[in-house]
Amino acid sequence: MSDQALSAPWRLPLPHSTGGRVLVAIRLAAVLALVGAAATTPGFFTTVSLFSLLNTMSFIGCVAVGMTFITLSGNIMSFALSVTLSTSGIIFIAALPLGLAGAMIAALAFGAALTGVQGAVIGYFRANPIIVSMAALALITGGATLITQGHGVYPQGNATAPLQGRVFGVPMPLFAFIVTVIAAQIVLSFTRFGRQLYMVGSNWRAALAAGLEPARIVLGAYIAAGLCTALAGILMAGRYSSGDMELGIGYDYHAISAVLVGGTAISGGEGSAIRSLIGAFIIAVCQVLLLLHGFSTQVQYLAIGIIVLVVIMLQTLADEA
Amino acid sequence: MDVKVVLQAEPVAGAAKAAAPIAADKMGDSEPKPVAGGAAIVGVRQLCKSFGPIAALKDVSLDIGAGEIRGICGENGAGKSTLVKILTGVYRPDQGAVVVDGVAVSVATPRQAQELGIAIVAQELSLCPDLSVEDNIWLGSLKVPFLHKQPQLRKRAADALALLGASHIALDVPVASLSMGERQLVEIARLLTRDARVLILDEPTATLTDVEIERIFAALLAVKREGRSVLYITHRLAEVYTICDSVSVLRNGELVATRPLNGLDRTALIELMLGRPSGEMYPEEARARGAPALVVDGLSLPGIVDDFTMTARRGEIVCIAGQVGSGAAEIITALAGLVHDASGRVAVNGRQLKLGSPARAARRGIMFVSGDRAAEGVFRRLSVLQNLVATRLREHSLFGFLRGGALRAAASQLAKRVGIDRRRLRARADELSGGNQQKLAFGRCIERQANGVLLMNEPTRGIDVGARAEIYRLMRSFCEEGYALLMASSDLEEIVGVGDVVITLYRGRQVGHYRRGEVTMHRIVADITHPADAAR
Amino acid sequence: MRSLIVNRSVRPYLLLVAIIVALWLLDAGRGRFFTAATAFSVLQEFATIGPIALGLGLSMIIREFDLSVGGMMSFAGCIAVLSGARYPELGVLLAVLFGVLWGLFQGTVMVWLRLGSIGVTLGGLLTLGGLAYVVTGNLSISYPRMDVAMAVNQPVLQLLSPRSIITLAAFLAAAFFMARTRIGRDLYATGSDRRAAMVAGVRTDVILPGVFACSGALAGLGGSLLSYSLAAASGAALTDALVPAVAAAIIGGVSLAGGKGTPIGIIGGVLVLGLLSAGLNAIGTPPAVQDVVTGGVLFLVAIADAVDLDPRLFTIRRYWSDMFLRRDLDKSGQAPAE
Repeated sequence: MSDQALSAPWRLPLPHSTGGRVLVAIRLAAVLALVGAAATTPGFFTTVSLFSLLNTMSFIGCVAVGMTFITLSGNIMSFALSVTLSTSGIIFIAALPLGLAGAMIAALAFGAALTGVQGAVIGYFRANPIIVSMAALALITGGATLITQGHGVYPQGNATAPLQGRVFGVPMPLFAFIVTVIAAQIVLSFTRFGRQLYMVGSNWRAALAAGLEPARIVLGAYIAAGLCTALAGILMAGRYSSGDMELGIGYDYHAISAVLVGGTAISGGEGSAIRSLIGAFIIAVCQVLLLLHGFSTQVQYLAIGIIVLVVIMLQTLADEA
Repeated sequence: MDVKVVLQAEPVAGAAKAAAPIAADKMGDSEPKPVAGGAAIVGVRQLCKSFGPIAALKDVSLDIGAGEIRGICGENGAGKSTLVKILTGVYRPDQGAVVVDGVAVSVATPRQAQELGIAIVAQELSLCPDLSVEDNIWLGSLKVPFLHKQPQLRKRAADALALLGASHIALDVPVASLSMGERQLVEIARLLTRDARVLILDEPTATLTDVEIERIFAALLAVKREGRSVLYITHRLAEVYTICDSVSVLRNGELVATRPLNGLDRTALIELMLGRPSGEMYPEEARARGAPALVVDGLSLPGIVDDFTMTARRGEIVCIAGQVGSGAAEIITALAGLVHDASGRVAVNGRQLKLGSPARAARRGIMFVSGDRAAEGVFRRLSVLQNLVATRLREHSLFGFLRGGALRAAASQLAKRVGIDRRRLRARADELSGGNQQKLAFGRCIERQANGVLLMNEPTRGIDVGARAEIYRLMRSFCEEGYALLMASSDLEEIVGVGDVVITLYRGRQVGHYRRGEVTMHRIVADITHPADAAR
Repeated sequence: MRSLIVNRSVRPYLLLVAIIVALWLLDAGRGRFFTAATAFSVLQEFATIGPIALGLGLSMIIREFDLSVGGMMSFAGCIAVLSGARYPELGVLLAVLFGVLWGLFQGTVMVWLRLGSIGVTLGGLLTLGGLAYVVTGNLSISYPRMDVAMAVNQPVLQLLSPRSIITLAAFLAAAFFMARTRIGRDLYATGSDRRAAMVAGVRTDVILPGVFACSGALAGLGGSLLSYSLAAASGAALTDALVPAVAAAIIGGVSLAGGKGTPIGIIGGVLVLGLLSAGLNAIGTPPAVQDVVTGGVLFLVAIADAVDLDPRLFTIRRYWSDMFLRRDLDKSGQAPAE
């Protein structure tokens, strides 16, 4: 009798509640609709549009994976990732004289430091994460503008060429993105830190009482977010061969949209990097579809906003345990 | 069972009986007959309510008269709170009706209940901490006009407080600055201003000091003199005998009896509640006393506890008895590391422990089971499995990576140990019942090498008699494995039944230290309410 | 005196005085600061940020957070500009009406679906911002009525303008409402402890949509008047308004935990920020500095309002004193608490 329960025949992991099942049905229907739309849109399955799709997805996706750590920890989102992305890109370009690897390390460290400070304040003092991220947004924007005087930075010669190439036939940004997702998912699913992150996001006080150290874990989550965002910044700087504050604009919204559309709970404690991958993919597909049907970028922006609103409203079905 | 109140039972009960004829002049009956308290104001007829397959109320009928204080007793799950929720408009009955002044009415919303004169002071008070006393009294009342600061409303609020003997409470202070007892009085004042004819009090004294309880009782008598009725729901049978005129007993959703308390003795009452003679609930005492596992020397919490010292040995259950505010619960949370300004020397298994960090305490082998499961115990969104192994990730991980198979096996063992069905391992934790969630909290604390210290705060709060017995057995088996257990409790029967060592606390100072067999509930009550030698 | 400092709604005014003194010193007698022009631009800033600070502040008082005010302001500007060519009042009216409807929608969704406000208003922010983008096509739409643009900014008594007067009127109405009426009291109750308020009989499921309708209306009012004054509606500047509004509300004494804060206090908060911005401008610092200052102030305020601040500071202080006590062990003759 003992372990039979654990070795019972494998069943489809459907949610227990009716609400949960309705949600799964809606998601399936949406995916099918998307596939249908893609199949019927001329020009979708061409290299050009797929290429553009994958590129968009990679940049947003990296930041989304970073944002996922923050959301999972119960801190909803950060408004400062966009500027972290831009400034990391600037640091990367500026540090190229140190060599490609050196510049990458500098940029990653910088991004981690920017978000790490926020994570420390949020974790150790339990300051409000939204407010802190807004404050960081203003501080970093102001600081960066003062230092760069509003200009971009450009690399000498061809130093960023390796970032524009391909790895195993796949464009570098996409490759980096997939590696990031895999690494993040491994951390979330299989490491102690990951498990503790879910616990902290689920119930801070219970985690504290159980002897975990929630402050440290939140700090770790923010550092992870900074690393992912800085990576995206490096890739973008490589793609556009420049470091500029303009590059990161709007990425907070794209990233949190990807996270929420993918199905991670905004209140924390539930979600994964894979889901954010799916979310980024769905958003990218929607964008490309709209583009091919002749809608402007502005309409794409609006469409994503509406999708996020709908997704959030549907979340309530998932919570009816 | 609150024995201390029984000590004063005679005078107060006498007063209650003296007051009854005054209020019951409608009866034309000089001898108090609480059951037939005049024309019934409020009642229920053949009330039935089910939640899915579970029948919470089956064909319940009862009446309450004017000026009557009716106790409502029953175990957890007997249907008390369902009955109350139907009376106050939170639930609609499946069958049957609520009757007011002889007419069947439909109480569809809490607002309607308010209009009908039915009002409740719940266990969890409904006061807004940032608002003033006056604002809280009039909060949600239908009589408040658009411009809510009216002198006549202010006067009525003051009058209500005066009636309750609470004129010392200023009307303009924020409620957050009041003590628990004062807040309770403010809530009762709210009921008075709404012209409530039936006041329902649900476990009103659970968090009050003895002085505050006296005030509440005096207030209830004043209310009774005005001809209003009171439904008094409590587990504390001694209080029922003190303040109530009669009692209705619910069991498994059915009304078992409604009797006047005059002439009903306690064992009979308990038998009515349990449906069986109260049997052996508490397992026997510890067999052997081990080495000191937890040594506390000079523990102080500013403003709460002063210089507390004790030793807990392996295999023993140490109970700290004290009223709310005495510091018993705070000592436990401080030892668990959740209080940042605690000072003193603490040694666990011979090694010093620095207070203020739960993580540090956990590393030294201290485990904490809170009475407040939702806030401090359970990770709702995570599975039962993940909840069980929450504290033992380190031992089943390699270079930071979790070993899934080992964790699953450990969880399975733990579930078996505490009696949770292993098929529920993959279910979400918030799908479990309260009792099961508490077992989950215990399961988390089981270690393989037993030199741990288990700290508990009100471990059986809100858990019914059946599940309690299971938890006591669990506690005893922990002891046999070599744990030391330290618990704070306000349930005197539990303390006397379970404790191998009992330490009594009064206002942050230790009063007495007893071994099992040396102490009675009587003695504990005396210590924690008004010790003769509260010196030092 | 102490009670004045502790009173949340008075603090921003004390801060205001401190800033005036500081700026006067920085100015070093060059007279760039204390001019009517500076005061005018402070009050113009008040008219820009004020309405959304008030709306956001009201949502914070009930322990929610209306992220969408930023997007609403942009989109309301578009509505006003597009529909107010002939009758500018109509433009404002439609913008406010839309704000009310959208706020009701958001609030109702929150109540029916039992969702938190951050998620829903985030969706609102994105949607409204997107709408603004679509309508403007990522350029600015210009408003043909330059006369209205001038009138709205016409100095009155040298310091005010119709815009700031309207904003001030809105604040005063809100202040009266919150302090004197039953509904205002219920708002504080909802924020202080929603469950308790509900049990007491407060209609919290009506209050939520109501408050969000107000914040939508205020954002609509502010956004439409701003667009008129700029004679253009642009889709940009989402967080240019949101960050100062949050800062203003919090400096003004509104607590993220709900139940505290007053409109008068929020006026103080907006003035503090406006003064910092206009004052720094007047003495010649680059605009990026204002961002840094706003961000810095908000950061400090976030820490000051932080939940675990006191315990952490206590632990740090004790750690320090332990370190020093250990050295002075012989002198004090007392073993330190370990």
